[in-house]
Amino acid sequence: MNNFEPKIIGILCNWCSYAGADSAGTSRKTYAPNVNVVRVMCSGRVDTQFILKAFKEGADGVLILGCHPGDCHYKEGNYKALRRYKLLKKAITQFGIEEERLRLDWVSAAESDKFVKVVNEFTETIKKLGPLNIKK
Amino acid sequence: MNKKIGVYICSCGTNISDVIDIEEVVNFASKLENVVYAKSHKFLCSEDGKNFLTEDIKQQKPDCVVIGACTPRELENTFRKVLEQAGLNPYLFQMVNLREQVAWTTQDKTQATQKAKRYIKAAVKRVALHEPLEKKEIECNTDVVVIGAGPAGLESAISLAKADRKVYLVEKQPNIGGKAVKYEDLFPTMECAPCAVAPYLEEVLHHPNIELLTSSEVEEVVGFFGNFDVKIKKNARYVDIEKCIGCGACIEPCPVSVKSEFEYGLTDRKAIYFPVQGALPNAPVIDKENCLRFKGQDCNLCQQACPFGAINYEDKDEILEKKVGAIVVATGFEMLDPSIISNYQYKVIPEVYTSAEFERLLAATGPTGGNILTKDKKQPESIAIIHCVGSRDENYKEYCSSVCCLYATKFIHMIEKKLPEAKVYDFYVDWCLPGRDGQTFFDSVKEHAKNTSFIRIPKPNEVNISQKDGKIVIEYTDVNTNNKGQISVDMVVLCTAIVPPKDTEKIAKLLDLPIRKDGFLGAMQNALTTVSTTIEGVFIAGCIQGPKDFSSSVTQGAAASGKILSALVPGRKLELEPITAEVNEKLCGGCKVCISLCPYKAISFDEEKKVAVINEVLCKGCGTCVGACPSGAIRGKHFTTEEIFAEIEGVLSL
Repeated sequence: MNNFEPKIIGILCNWCSYAGADSAGTSRKTYAPNVNVVRVMCSGRVDTQFILKAFKEGADGVLILGCHPGDCHYKEGNYKALRRYKLLKKAITQFGIEEERLRLDWVSAAESDKFVKVVNEFTETIKKLGPLNIKK
Repeated sequence: MNKKIGVYICSCGTNISDVIDIEEVVNFASKLENVVYAKSHKFLCSEDGKNFLTEDIKQQKPDCVVIGACTPRELENTFRKVLEQAGLNPYLFQMVNLREQVAWTTQDKTQATQKAKRYIKAAVKRVALHEPLEKKEIECNTDVVVIGAGPAGLESAISLAKADRKVYLVEKQPNIGGKAVKYEDLFPTMECAPCAVAPYLEEVLHHPNIELLTSSEVEEVVGFFGNFDVKIKKNARYVDIEKCIGCGACIEPCPVSVKSEFEYGLTDRKAIYFPVQGALPNAPVIDKENCLRFKGQDCNLCQQACPFGAINYEDKDEILEKKVGAIVVATGFEMLDPSIISNYQYKVIPEVYTSAEFERLLAATGPTGGNILTKDKKQPESIAIIHCVGSRDENYKEYCSSVCCLYATKFIHMIEKKLPEAKVYDFYVDWCLPGRDGQTFFDSVKEHAKNTSFIRIPKPNEVNISQKDGKIVIEYTDVNTNNKGQISVDMVVLCTAIVPPKDTEKIAKLLDLPIRKDGFLGAMQNALTTVSTTIEGVFIAGCIQGPKDFSSSVTQGAAASGKILSALVPGRKLELEPITAEVNEKLCGGCKVCISLCPYKAISFDEEKKVAVINEVLCKGCGTCVGACPSGAIRGKHFTTEEIFAEIEGVLSL
């Protein structure tokens, strides 16, 4: 499984995490290319369907990144994301998806190091888990 | 779906092309479904690049456009304008971040090119679903309600009025000036405080654009930025400000005597009284709670004494309705009541004062005419000043109240001036002397205050106060010598924490403003916008936003006005962002889940149709309601579920 290159969807909020990803770029920090970013305005927009859709379309992992608690541009969208995430973690195991394949974390616009760390860590986790096998 | 999509890839000089094979991406893109052409350019954001885009789009007439370049956070709006110039709706466009999130962060060129292709494919699939969106414009009102007539509110009201804006200045107290009129001098310049506010007060009273509403409170706020409806309750004063000349003939005959709130109970007042000597508006007020007439007795002594017929017992509370475009909240602060910290013995030992009370002992307009006297009218021989009372202590207030060290320095200076023989003990924890003049002010006072001992205590509130033989005994540990010590004084001044006013919760609820953990109102989570809030059109200025000094409060008042003057311009309509959410009434089940989730109060419930209704002006397009709607009835424009799905499908299909 050494050559396994996982496909990962990263759903990032516009104001903190997407900006954090940009700042990793401006400071030329390289990281694993497996996370494919989908930008939403707020992590509160993250619909449970997005995650299920991603797994259905062949994603091996889904990463949700939002503003730190208390820093949401829209006041509290990230708390809503957190609630849905907790429910969803339980739900995906029912479909036979390991709960480690879904991760939520907070990355601020200034935390390019944290962004790189989370992306690399998550890519490693998914590499270890191997490709996702679910009965369609 | 048959759409004609044009794709443009920018090599950004060599920033993108160093890592990503532009030719390969262009070739790949041109073969994608719906793509009619794909081209590259060296610098799409340059004047040359923008001209190329405009002309090319005009010629090729695509239905929608994908641009692969840098981050959309930088240039999305620039390219939207280009599209508009080329005659295409600016939202029929998707930008791909090839620079910051691919070229600059991917080591391997093959992998980078592959990732670029995935992103382009996702964008092509997504943009095919995009719909043209229009920016809407609405009429707006440019009048303003300012709540609170202290330094911040006064500055805000005046700077707006001078720019020809109508201002309703709402003040809870019967007089204006806030707490500033209670102080004798201001640090660090030792400028006379009432003199500093006097020109403001005068101007506010007579400015034709300012309607001053004293003894008034805001009761209800509905609407949104540019279109607020504000209900203000104007409490009856029972004295006609227009007729009254402020002679005070009515005061003397009043048989009632109660403690004066303005003087913190240090002196008495009548039931008809001037809130403060020299109060503006210069007219007394009747305290209905204590007036004999309002208690059912047949007293009309004040009315008989008034030569101008200004006393009107029939005066009624009024509800005023005002339409405004913006609101400034400048409701100030209060001082922590130190009786909750038992070791200070406040209200137990009579000669223990708060700093606010002590300010009144220093003020020429105060109960002692500016003489520092104990309650039995003796000059104290020794005074202790204690810093950080309730501040910087996790049991009370964790924050530094930020002005106490400087006013304590002012106290030392004034005690020395008024009582040159008196001994002063200053109990501090750390010195907080910020700003250009703080340290020099302290140094100069310390230099000449020979009768003052500075004692450093280990932590806030770590002193014990008791009474013995008519003296106040303070026990402490001196950090510098680590010795336990004890002194006796005649008077103690507590530098109590600055806390939010009691009605902050009510104001926050009225305006849907967030209250921070420390109790003050929260500004936007952004160092650049200390006076803006999460509610558009509502601004906060002065101490309601956190402890600060006189000049910082005034600065914030001006800042709030500046924001309003640039956001609401007479004759100009308000432009609304088109990226908002909308409800499909046929699908909405009326569960109301979205209403409680919306951080902007943008969703209401139509009781007749039993569906949720989104106010486009208030909606900021975060999409929280879209993600939560159990029946999929809410669409997040430009971030629809179908659009995101298309992006996910596209990026994963390669």
